[in-house]
Amino acid sequence: MSSSMCLRCLKRSLVPIESSLPLTAGQRAAFSTSPSLAANPPKKTAKPTKTNARQGKTLKLTKNKRAATTRPPATGERKALRKRVVLSNTNALDVPGLQDLTTDSVSGVKLRELQDKVAGLGNDTVDALRALEAFKPTQGWSLFRRPASLVRRETVELAELLQAIQDSNGHQVERRVVFGEKVGGKSVLLLQAMAMAYLKGWLVVHYPEAKDMTIAHTAYQPVTTADGKTIYIQPQYTAHLLGNIAKANRGLLSNMRLAGQHQLPVPLPPNCSLLRLVELGANDADLAWPVWQALWTELTTPSQPEQEGLQRPPLFVGMDGVDFIMRDSAYLDSEAQPVHAHELALVRDYADILSGKTSLPNGGLVLAATTGSNRPSAPTFHHYLNRNHAEAHLPTLVSLRDRLRAQAVDAHSASDLNFAELDSLLSTLPPSLADQLHTFRRRAMASQRSNASVAKFLAACDTFQPELPHWDPYLAIDQRVADVMGNVRVQKLQGLSKEEARGVMEYYAQSGMLRHTVTDGLVSEKWTLAGNGIIGELEKGAVRARF
Amino acid sequence: MESALLRTGFRRAMVACQNPAKRRVARQPRRFFATPVEPQGEASELQSAPDAVYASNGGRAAKSRARAERVNKDRAVSDHDQTFQAAPQIRFTSDGEQFSSSRPSAELIENDTASRRGRGGYGGGPPGRGGAASYGRGPPNQEDDPSRNILRHIRIVPASPSYFTATPRYTDDLLALSALLRKHQLLPLLPPGEAPRVAWKTIDQYKTELAEPIRSKSYNTLLQLLKRLNYIHPSLIPDEVTESLEKYKRDVQPHLNVPNPIIVNQYGVAKAVGRRKSSSAQVYLVEGTGECLINGKSLTEYFGRLHDRESAIWALKATQRLDKYNVWALAAGGGTTGQAESITLGVARALLAHEPDLKPALRRAGCVTRDPKRVERKKPGKLKARKMPAWVKR
Repeated sequence: MSSSMCLRCLKRSLVPIESSLPLTAGQRAAFSTSPSLAANPPKKTAKPTKTNARQGKTLKLTKNKRAATTRPPATGERKALRKRVVLSNTNALDVPGLQDLTTDSVSGVKLRELQDKVAGLGNDTVDALRALEAFKPTQGWSLFRRPASLVRRETVELAELLQAIQDSNGHQVERRVVFGEKVGGKSVLLLQAMAMAYLKGWLVVHYPEAKDMTIAHTAYQPVTTADGKTIYIQPQYTAHLLGNIAKANRGLLSNMRLAGQHQLPVPLPPNCSLLRLVELGANDADLAWPVWQALWTELTTPSQPEQEGLQRPPLFVGMDGVDFIMRDSAYLDSEAQPVHAHELALVRDYADILSGKTSLPNGGLVLAATTGSNRPSAPTFHHYLNRNHAEAHLPTLVSLRDRLRAQAVDAHSASDLNFAELDSLLSTLPPSLADQLHTFRRRAMASQRSNASVAKFLAACDTFQPELPHWDPYLAIDQRVADVMGNVRVQKLQGLSKEEARGVMEYYAQSGMLRHTVTDGLVSEKWTLAGNGIIGELEKGAVRARF
Repeated sequence: MESALLRTGFRRAMVACQNPAKRRVARQPRRFFATPVEPQGEASELQSAPDAVYASNGGRAAKSRARAERVNKDRAVSDHDQTFQAAPQIRFTSDGEQFSSSRPSAELIENDTASRRGRGGYGGGPPGRGGAASYGRGPPNQEDDPSRNILRHIRIVPASPSYFTATPRYTDDLLALSALLRKHQLLPLLPPGEAPRVAWKTIDQYKTELAEPIRSKSYNTLLQLLKRLNYIHPSLIPDEVTESLEKYKRDVQPHLNVPNPIIVNQYGVAKAVGRRKSSSAQVYLVEGTGECLINGKSLTEYFGRLHDRESAIWALKATQRLDKYNVWALAAGGGTTGQAESITLGVARALLAHEPDLKPALRRAGCVTRDPKRVERKKPGKLKARKMPAWVKR
């Protein structure tokens, strides 16, 4: 039978519309805020309170925590990275026909053929020089394929000097200081001298940075000498130097044996080679100083060529940055007074060799290079550099004056005399002498122009007494330095000549580092911009300039 | 009333003397007009009629009329004819030399009518014959005043006919220059733009000198003449032209202040000075191999920066003459870059002394112009030249 209402309404009528008890939220609706509103507020759980030492606001760096994702460097790694020397650049071109410095080519005559050209260095030589720390990180070795340097006029002169010393069979010792403008090539000249000495079979000892000895970065300890004076030894640095010597002169030292007896804290084997001795000192800082003394005693004993192992070759002793040892060091003694650099044992030994107090019976070359860019104030030393430089040129000036005087005696009037030599000499003299010559030249020219009698010119000659620079008596002189420098020859390193500049620029171009054609104009331009050919500035302007 | 008039008259005269712009032609009193001379009876009739017309003039017309009446009364006694007396004919002199002395002079006039003209009003007789001066037959009652007599016969001849213009001295100048131009207008001229530069007097200076009211238009006309005369070729310019141009030139000719030329001396050295900011440099340039010394030091010793080194010898670098010349410089003042740039300018100037044809190349290289920039001074109320202190609301 059909109902009066629909099925839906029937269903609805069966279910009560409103019940007194409300249905749960889950039955009534999927989402509702009623339960949450009706609920009690959440209970605060008791947190453990942090005991804060500092009350109030504190700096919170939790957000800025440096993520330590990288491995921290090992001890000494950063220093090694800083001081590493890269000698090769594979992107640079290999220069064809680059001749190396070999034992034959290093003789003075042969080297003249290589003058104004760049010569490379062989692998053995490079190893030895690297062991001696002759290459510096600030130099431009990392720009080229392999280490090479320009053979300058001064290089050829050094080669000839080395040859002469070798030929003299131990009777000649040359002591020299090289100074000049910064980036002038002093260190590289020292390096070339070391390379040539190594190739000739000499023993090479090198103090790479005198600064390292005197700025109090290495340990020192006082030692009383036999005559009661206190000197300071630097064991760690001595060990370091001994290590360098051992690595560089391995071949030579292994063939030499001890000539005399030495008192060392450890007993030495009977037929100990010098290499063994040096390595002993290199490995142990406590033994370093006695080993050093023993080594120097050995090296300064005269050579006995007929005995095997007792032949001693000539010695090359080089030092870079010699200004630092010609003043007070940064060390303090027990009274907190500054220790003079010459009171350091290592420095004292070198100073004795440089001044000639300690003789080298087997001959040798003692070469020191000053530093230009890092120059400390050492007034006495610089005064002596200027003085000795002037002293070297004084004879030429005096002889010129005497020659002109002799001419004047025969001549009728002043206008007959020829003063061309004066002009040519003026450019080569050091400034102190050049000023005096300039005054004399002016008087000579005046007498020539006024057509005066010869007597006037002769009077000018008599009054012209060239003098060396004087030390200001109102300043305190460093007597120790004065004693050392009194007898040392001095050489000033000037800029390159135009031919030398051309040679080195051609090498740059062949290496691919200089992208211009090397013409006379370009060479002159770079030469002038380099302050009349200072090689470091030349390299900067030609190779390193980034435009 | 008479005194008041006199005073006004004086005041006007003084103002007119001091201010040339206010010099106007004074309104001539009626007695100088050609008015008919009537007998007494008719005169009164005639004069009564214009009374109404002239009453507006105030007392002045009445006064002059009163004077005329008195005079007419005198004349009416002698002359009964009613004649219109025309003004005496202007007598022109054909004496071309009357202004030749260029100084004011006095001349005696020998004419009857002129003497009669001296008597007030136009009771003048028949027109004069002109010619020789003679003592006219003066009225018997005036012969006893000889000085007054002479004044009637004297004629002042001014120095120049421009006297009769508003700006006599200007007119004289203009005419003199025009005459000069007309005289020398066929002389050859310099090409346009190449006349010697002259600083002519300004109109104010000219007016002050002449003390005359000259319009700028009039002065420009004068300037045109001067400029045209200035164009005459200097090798053919007559002395009179040069002399007459001189007084129109300013006292100080700024274009004459030329710098001394930089010359290459007997030793081949050229010395030049260059300046930049507060640095100055004396540069000696001589032919050589490319060496450079600044204050006794080499280029690298003195300038640590490559840029400064290049700047200092930029003039030589830009013209590719670095290996041809030696430079010896003394630099002082300022800082590194200032000294380097001052040496640039000095080298460029010295190089121009050696090779003047390099000027366009050096200008393109930027070495020729002296950079006028200087450090701006600090001003009060500011922290630096321009930087203001932090703004504060209150």
